[in-house]
Amino acid sequence: MVLITCLSDVAAQVGIGRIMAGNKFHYPVGQPELPHQEELRWRVALIEKALASLETVVQQPEIF
Amino acid sequence: MIKVLHYLNQFFAAIGGEDKAYHEVIFFPHAVGVGTVIENALTARGVEYATIACGDNHFHEQEEKALQAIRASMDEFRPDIFLAGPAFNAGRYGLACAKLCSWVQDNWRIPAITAMHEDNPGTREIGRRVFVIQTGASAASMPESLKRFSWLIEKLLSKDQGAIDNFHAEHCLPIPRRFTVRTTAPDYVRAVDLLLAKLNGQPYESEIPRIEAQPHSIPNLTASLKDATFALVTEGGLVPKGNPDRLESSRGTKYFKYPIGGRDDLRHGEFEAMHTGYDTSTVDRDPNRIVPLDAMRVLEKAKRFKKLHDYYFVTTGTGAMPSKMAEIGAGMADELSRSGINAVILTAT
Repeated sequence: MVLITCLSDVAAQVGIGRIMAGNKFHYPVGQPELPHQEELRWRVALIEKALASLETVVQQPEIF
Repeated sequence: MIKVLHYLNQFFAAIGGEDKAYHEVIFFPHAVGVGTVIENALTARGVEYATIACGDNHFHEQEEKALQAIRASMDEFRPDIFLAGPAFNAGRYGLACAKLCSWVQDNWRIPAITAMHEDNPGTREIGRRVFVIQTGASAASMPESLKRFSWLIEKLLSKDQGAIDNFHAEHCLPIPRRFTVRTTAPDYVRAVDLLLAKLNGQPYESEIPRIEAQPHSIPNLTASLKDATFALVTEGGLVPKGNPDRLESSRGTKYFKYPIGGRDDLRHGEFEAMHTGYDTSTVDRDPNRIVPLDAMRVLEKAKRFKKLHDYYFVTTGTGAMPSKMAEIGAGMADELSRSGINAVILTAT
């Protein structure tokens, strides 16, 4: 599991293994300033990074 | 001489098993089953021991009737101390023990002691001043639990408040419920006192116990990403427009899953967020900003992973009880693993 959040420190304190910083806490995987297609590209890149974190073996909370 | 009345269910009173779960309340003017162990431990003190037993189902389905019968025994026997259990992780028994101890404490103002495992649903029914001795999940922890009953009774009889407090801290379950208490100063004075103590480097103790996260293992992918089935989970409260299942917008107690099979993205107007913890307007305009379905579809088509699960899971994570959230998380995890999900992307606000 990978958690995308803007409260990485809290996530690490409760022991989440894979933590990724989201954009804003009220839209962690959004970038509303961008035109739609660019926002999608940005989101694909973010999720790609999330997938890559899952390919990494983790023993303790790590922020990617 | 002290008088102890001990409540047991049909099983621990040796009346019978599940077939006797409808057994009515019965009074024994002596110790029964595990009660004999506690009675023996107290013989030096001089003890008059009686037992009251009742089937688990009878208690729950005819509570008024059961309480009436127990009230009669209470008034006739007039115990100094009331015991119930230990119930370990037995739910119906634990609830009966909790309710009875609270009821006895409220009505007769005598010490009431029960014992159960921390996950027993009975812990949610515990009233003020009831002692709840911590036990293991099964009757394997019986000998230790019974010893604790008699230790606590000894300490109560000695009226040594320090020893009782120590016992409470060491062996009793902290009950995470709020009760009305009288204090010497109003909250704003206590808050400023706490702050001053902290600033002056003096010892201070918060009135709100900090809930420690339970340690847990961190799962790693067991196979390659290319063969993994993914699921999307969020605590962001995203539900189909109109919130058909009435997901709470705060203090969530439920989770739901909604179908996304055949969808390439989540459209404005079809989904909306129920969540008082953040401004949901940006997500409402494009729900992919909380449940990134569109991006997952792009990566699924690129064969970065095998498949995206046909449902996304959702709850509302604001203002919620951590214990309830742990329950929700466990429920989701169980359902996901039974659906053959290998990996999860969880978005949180």
